[in-house]
Order: sequence, then structure tokens, then C-alpha cells
Amino acid sequence: MSTNEGQNTASDSEWVRLQSTDGFSYLVKRKVIQASGTIRNMLDPQSGYAEAISKICEIRERGIIVEKLVEYMSFKTYHETAKDEISVNLNEFLERIPPEIVLELLVDLLHLVERTILTDGFPRTGYLQQIIKRCDGTKYD
Amino acid sequence: MASTRRLKPKIMAPRKHGPEFSADQTWSALSKNIREIQKHNAANLSFEENHRFAYNMVLYKRGDMLYSGVKQLVAENLKELATTVIIPAFPTGTNDPTMQSAEEEVLLRELRKVWDDHKSNMFRLGQILKYMDRVHTKAANVPTTHEMGLSLFLEHIIQPPIKGHVVNAILKQIRHERDHITINRSTVRQCVDVFLSLAYDNTGTTIYKRDLEPLFLEESKIFYENEGRHLVDSCDAPEFLRLVEDRFIEEESRTDHYLTSQTKQPLLQILEDNLLTPHLSSVISKENSGLDVMVDKTQYKDLYRLFRLCSKVPTGLPTLKSALKASIVRRGKEINQTALGEDFGDQDDKDNSAGQKDVKGKGKAVAKSSGIEPAVKWVQDVLDLKTKFDTVWKDSFNSDRDIESTLNEAFGTFVNMNDKCSEFISLFIDDHLKRGLKGKTEVEVDAILDKTIVIFRFILEKDVFEKYYKGHLAKRLLQNRSVSDDAERGMLAKLKVESGVQFTQKMEGMFNDMKISADTTRDYLEYVSKTTAPVIELNVTVMTSNAWPMTHSASPCSLPPVMEKACKSFEQFYLSRHSGRRLTWQHSLGNADVHVQFKARAHELNVATFALVILLLFEDVGDDDVLSYSDIKEATQIEERELKRHLQSLACAKFKILKKHPAGRDVNSDDTFSFNNDFSCPMKKIKIGTISSKTENSEERKETRDRIEEERKHQMEACIVRIMKNRKHMTHNDLVNEVISQLSSKFSPEPSAIKKRIEHLIDRDYLERCEDRRSYNYLA
Repeated sequence: MSTNEGQNTASDSEWVRLQSTDGFSYLVKRKVIQASGTIRNMLDPQSGYAEAISKICEIRERGIIVEKLVEYMSFKTYHETAKDEISVNLNEFLERIPPEIVLELLVDLLHLVERTILTDGFPRTGYLQQIIKRCDGTKYD
Repeated sequence: MASTRRLKPKIMAPRKHGPEFSADQTWSALSKNIREIQKHNAANLSFEENHRFAYNMVLYKRGDMLYSGVKQLVAENLKELATTVIIPAFPTGTNDPTMQSAEEEVLLRELRKVWDDHKSNMFRLGQILKYMDRVHTKAANVPTTHEMGLSLFLEHIIQPPIKGHVVNAILKQIRHERDHITINRSTVRQCVDVFLSLAYDNTGTTIYKRDLEPLFLEESKIFYENEGRHLVDSCDAPEFLRLVEDRFIEEESRTDHYLTSQTKQPLLQILEDNLLTPHLSSVISKENSGLDVMVDKTQYKDLYRLFRLCSKVPTGLPTLKSALKASIVRRGKEINQTALGEDFGDQDDKDNSAGQKDVKGKGKAVAKSSGIEPAVKWVQDVLDLKTKFDTVWKDSFNSDRDIESTLNEAFGTFVNMNDKCSEFISLFIDDHLKRGLKGKTEVEVDAILDKTIVIFRFILEKDVFEKYYKGHLAKRLLQNRSVSDDAERGMLAKLKVESGVQFTQKMEGMFNDMKISADTTRDYLEYVSKTTAPVIELNVTVMTSNAWPMTHSASPCSLPPVMEKACKSFEQFYLSRHSGRRLTWQHSLGNADVHVQFKARAHELNVATFALVILLLFEDVGDDDVLSYSDIKEATQIEERELKRHLQSLACAKFKILKKHPAGRDVNSDDTFSFNNDFSCPMKKIKIGTISSKTENSEERKETRDRIEEERKHQMEACIVRIMKNRKHMTHNDLVNEVISQLSSKFSPEPSAIKKRIEHLIDRDYLERCEDRRSYNYLA
């Protein structure tokens, strides 16, 4: 991850487009998509795939999911340099997730963004755990 | 409860990814796409799609199928590239070097192309197969896509025959460049980089290390073995050195530019071992261009190059040093031989053949000239040689300390080979202090004397030098020949710095005596002016007997009454002031001013005391009367050798005050002499120099030697006693070593001589042998 980031710093401020299946499209800076290994690879100019050349990445999800995905990536990028968890107000993000899409979003995030998955199938990453908790809460409340 | 639950929004189930998954279908789509990627058509493919294919295959537990499929596709692609791209580029076996080079370059470029192609393919595959690398390869314990790519490349491309051809091409390219054919370095470099980035068998050993480097080094070794032989036969030394150094620079730049720094050390080692070391000594000793010639032609740059190259290899500096030493010693021997050849014919038998004729031819001329010429020439030659090598040392050898000591050692060797070295140096100094100051500034003389000290340092037997120097100094002082007192004292100070107070103590004593004598004489003259002054104005030097070298034998001499009276008068005066002292007159060392009336005019002659005594004999005889040699001898009582010398200087030298019958250069015992009344000379004041003994003849030298030997015996004994007094008990070997080390500043005593001295001391009850027969006790 670090080497690829290094190579792309020049184009960090470049805009790329994320498209949803139902026609929504989101313009984000390349820096933001670094948060997702898969999307980053997809748009890596070195690989030279169709997406990289057109700088348009199609996400096979509904617009609302892609929106939250972009929001999640921005949130993660913004707090990338945070030193501890206290300074990261996760609730700010969590509160904006409509409960009805939380499961869908979770699967999507697992697929596209986060890579560390525990052997029992649960993500290790702090933010995702919070989301899972939230998701649990919605389920059982 | 139910109503509240209904109010809550329903959680949507996540969308299913790929509802109906078929591994075969997915794979066929994916493999088609992979082929497209390998055809450089990635731009038309959707990353997302292919990633999803691979993701799904892994997700649905078909990772192994995906993995082996990809592997097969990559392998097929490589095989195809090998047959379509690389194999057609194999060299055709042409003989034209330019064509060969071009072909090799093409092959290397093609290999690089295939590598680049393969690498970018693997990179793209790696990106879409990321999920497989993360999940499947670890679980299945197989290499990741990237590693698989490398090992497949090894398996299909870096294989015979391709490998052999490529390695060969690289080696040949290097060979071309060594033959000074320009090659495309970057092509070779790129190819070498491929080899460098491929590791063999996970051991970390790169293909370069395994397959290329050993061959390259082997080839280099053969090349430089031949090159070395070729160069040493066909070039002269400076050319050889220049080419060899160029080779070093070339090979270094080669490793920097298109090989790897790992190879630099072994490669340079090969150059050192095959190109430099075996030929170094033969190059240094090359007949018409070797070290000697380079020194003679002052090719300092070439010498510096030689030094640089020699510093590279362990045997280099020792070889250079021994060659330098041999060269200096050879030159020194030549100088020694010239000096001895011009000497008075008492040279060793070995240089007789050439030297003898020379001596006979030049005999007269040499005798008439100052007589110290060989000595001055020898010292000057040695100084010139020293200056020459010092320049070389400074300019070409980086002022290297090791080499300096070699130079000094070499100089010491040949200087001490000349057993007259001490005498020569002393004479050289004598010459400069006597007349050298004329026309030379004080600084110049000082510089010359400083250099002389350098040679003085080389002398092992400093006591011999001391002996001669004292003799010469005494003469200078007594005959008032020293031009500058400052220069004398300066020289003395230099010797003091070199060899310590002990060395110059007696010489300083001589200076002291001179000063006191001047005072005494003044007092005496004052004293006699008040009383009855003798006819002769007397000027006396009172010498402390142990400070002055008494080489001048107290030759007996019967003085005429008038002189006798003057002596008595001074004796009286002196003994009245210092009681208990004994004065012995050394007439042989004195000189006198005398007015002589010739037919033409009166002259004031300055002659030696003995000469005056002889002259006074003629005062009473008629102009045409003669005195025979035996008459003179009887009247003066002067020792035969001294008498002959003074008669010679009066009758046979430049100013002929006496006539000798028959005329001739040498004085014989049946000659007769008469006063030369017709003598004329434009100058009023004439100094009749005594024909001095110049450099000693063999007889005198033997005498001096014996005296020195005698003195050494005392010194050794004194030293032994000194040591034993301190230690009380000592083994024989310890004692001998201690004596040698203590005396080494003066001379180097032989252990056998020391042993003799010890025995002598035992006889005289200073020491006693212990029971064990190997050690001694000091007897108080």
C-alpha cells in the first residue's frame, strides 16, 4: 500500500468518478480512494485497465450505498493521521447511516475497502466493529 | 412490542454477488481476459469484472483451479514469447565482430523486452488476483502471483539454450568493449538487471551470481592473463603502467555502469592477480624504460602511477621498495667506485682494471689539485642522488613513510660500503668551511651543511667520523683557516642535535681552548712588552691534551736558539700563572711569518714552523751553496716523513723558495737544496702551504683504523663495566646485546670483539665467570 501511495502522490488531488448502478456518480479525489485497496488498484494508471484509463469506476451498488461508501472513505482518510480513538468521533459518521442499509453497506465495505478479517469472519478494524455493533443494535432493539 | 417493531425500518438484506456462480464459466471468461492482457489489451478490459471473477472463484473455493489455470496461461505465454521473440534473435554465428556485436545487442534487447512484457503482465494479473494472493495462496501454501511469475520466467526463459546464448552474448559484449569496440552499455545493463532481480531457489542467490558472474570472472581471468603477457612483451614500462591503470579504471566503470558492485571486488582482484602482480617486477626492472630510466628521465607522473598501482597489491610496495633499494645501491656503488678510482691508487683490486689506467693518466693532475676532490665529488654525488630520490619520493610516492625508510636504508647501505665515507664527509665539510663560503651566501652554505648532515646520518661508524672531524677541525683552528666562526659553530650545533652532547664535547673544548689561548697570548704580549721581549713575536695556542686529536706526532725538532728562547719565555710566563701544568710544544702544528730578502724584492712568507726551521738553516749559507738532505736532517732533527713534506712544499710546490737538485717532484734522501735567490712573485705576502696529506693514503688509513680500533676497545670495556656495575650479574647474551645497543650510536661492535673485551676484563679482575659458565658477576 505504501509504495503505491508513494507513486500516486502526484495525482492525489486528481478527481476520479465513482458510479453506482442506478446512475448516481460521485466525484472524489484520488487521495480518498486510497482508502480502498480494490478501488485504488482498479484506478491505478500503471495497470492500464479500462477503468484506469477512463477514470470512472463502476460500483455495482445502489447510489445510497456508494454515497455512504464514499463518506466512509473520506472519513477514514480524514482521520488517517489520528493518534488515538478518542479524537475520532465515530458516532458522527455512524449516526448518518440509515439503519436499513447498514448490513448491505457492511458487506460492501468488506468487499471493497477493508481487508483484515478475523478467522471467524468478523473484521478486526475498529471502525467496522463499531458499524457491526450498530448493526447488531438495530437488529435486536 | 409488535407495533413498535413495525415502526422500525426494515433492514435490507445485502445483495447477492453473482447469484448463479459457475466456476467453469467464470474461468473461461477470465482466461480469455488474461490472454487479452497478455496481448496488451488491458485497456479494453474492466478491472472490476476480472477482479470479481477472481474474487468469486476464490470465494467459492475454486482457488486451486484459478491458480493452476493462471500458472498455465503464464507458462504458455512465456513459451510463445521464447519461440517467437528470443530464439529468432539467436546469433547466426557470423565472424564479423561488428555484426556479432549487433546481433548480441539484439538478443539482449529482446530478452529485456520479454522480461518487461512478462513483468507488466504479472503486475496486472497480480492486481486482479489480489484476493487470491491474500486468501488462497497462503492457505494452499503456494507462491504468490508475483513469485510464481518469477519462477515461471526462470523455468521457461532462463533455460538452456536461451540462457547460454544470453550469458554468452553478455560476455561477448564485455569482450568487445575490452577490445575497444563501442557497445550499447544500457542494453547490457538492462539484461544484467534481469539476472540480478531473479533469485534462484529462494536461497537469495541471484541468477547473476550463479550463472553469469563465475563465467564472467573466469573469462576475465583468461583475458587478463593474456593481456598481461601481451602488454609486458610489447610495451615499455610507462606505457604498460598507463594501459594497466586504464584497465583498472575501465573495469571499475564497467562494474559501476552495467554489472554490479558485488562483482567489483573479485574482478579487481583478478586484475591485480593476473595483470599486475605477476608482471610488476619485470616491468620495474625493464631494461630501457623501467624504474631506473623513469627516475633518470624524471617521469614523475609515470612513477606516481607506478606507485599507485603498487599500492593496490600486497606484493607491490615490497617489490617497488626492493627495486628502489637496488637502484640506489647500484648508483651508490658507481659513485663509490668513481671516488675510489680517482683516489691515489690504493683502491681495491676489483676495480683495478678500469681504475688503474685512469689513475696513472690523471695522477699528476689529481696530485696538483686540492687533493680532496674525490671526497668533495663523492659527497656532492651522494647529495645529488639523495636530492633526486627525494624529489621522486615527494612528487611520485606521496611522501610515503615506508618508502622513505627504504630510501634511507639504501643510502645507508652504500654509504657504509665506502669505508672512507666518514673521512669524505668530514673533508667535504672542511672544504666548505675553509673556502666554500666565498661566493656563496651563508644560507646556501647552511643548506649544504644541512644536507651533509643527512649523509652523516647514514654513517654507522660515527666514532670514525668524529675522529676525522676532530682532526680537520683542529687543523682549521690552528691554521686559522676557518672562514667563519659562526659557520663552524653552526656545524657543531647541527652535529650536537644529531648525536648528542657527548659527541661534540671535545670539539667544544677545542673552541674553548682557542678562546683562552687568545686571552693568554694577549696577557703574555702585555707581560713581555714590559720586560724583555724576545725577538720573535709569539702567538701560542694552549691545547688541553685530551680534547685535541693528537694525530700529529710530536715530531722532534731542534729549534734555532732564537726560537728556543721565545718558547722558554712563554713557558716561564705560563707556568708562573698556572702551577703544576706541563707544556709540550707541538711545533708541527705551528706556523710563522718571516721576512725574506730575495734578489728582486723582499717577501713576507707564511710557512709552517718546520719549514721556518729549514729556511733558517739557509740564512747563514751563501747563495750558491747547497745543503744536502742529510745535512738538513741532522740540523733540524725533524722526522724523515715530515721533513720530506716540508722540503717538498718549499722546493717543489707553486712557490719555489728553495732549489732542489736535481729538480723533481719527489724529495729523495740524496737530493741537495739551495736558496732560490731569483725567486719572484707579484704578491708581497705569500703563503706557503704545506703539502697536506689530503685524503689519507693506505698506510695512514691503517694507522687511523688501528687507533680507532684501540679506542673502541676502551669504549667497549668502559661500557661493559658501566653496565655490570649497575646490574652486578648478567648473562653473556644479555650483556652483549646491551653493549651493542648502548654503543650503536657510535659504531656497531662485533659480538666476538665484545667477548674478547669481557675476557680481558675477567683477566683484570673486573668481572668473574659464574658457575653456569654463561653469566658474569661484577667484582667491586
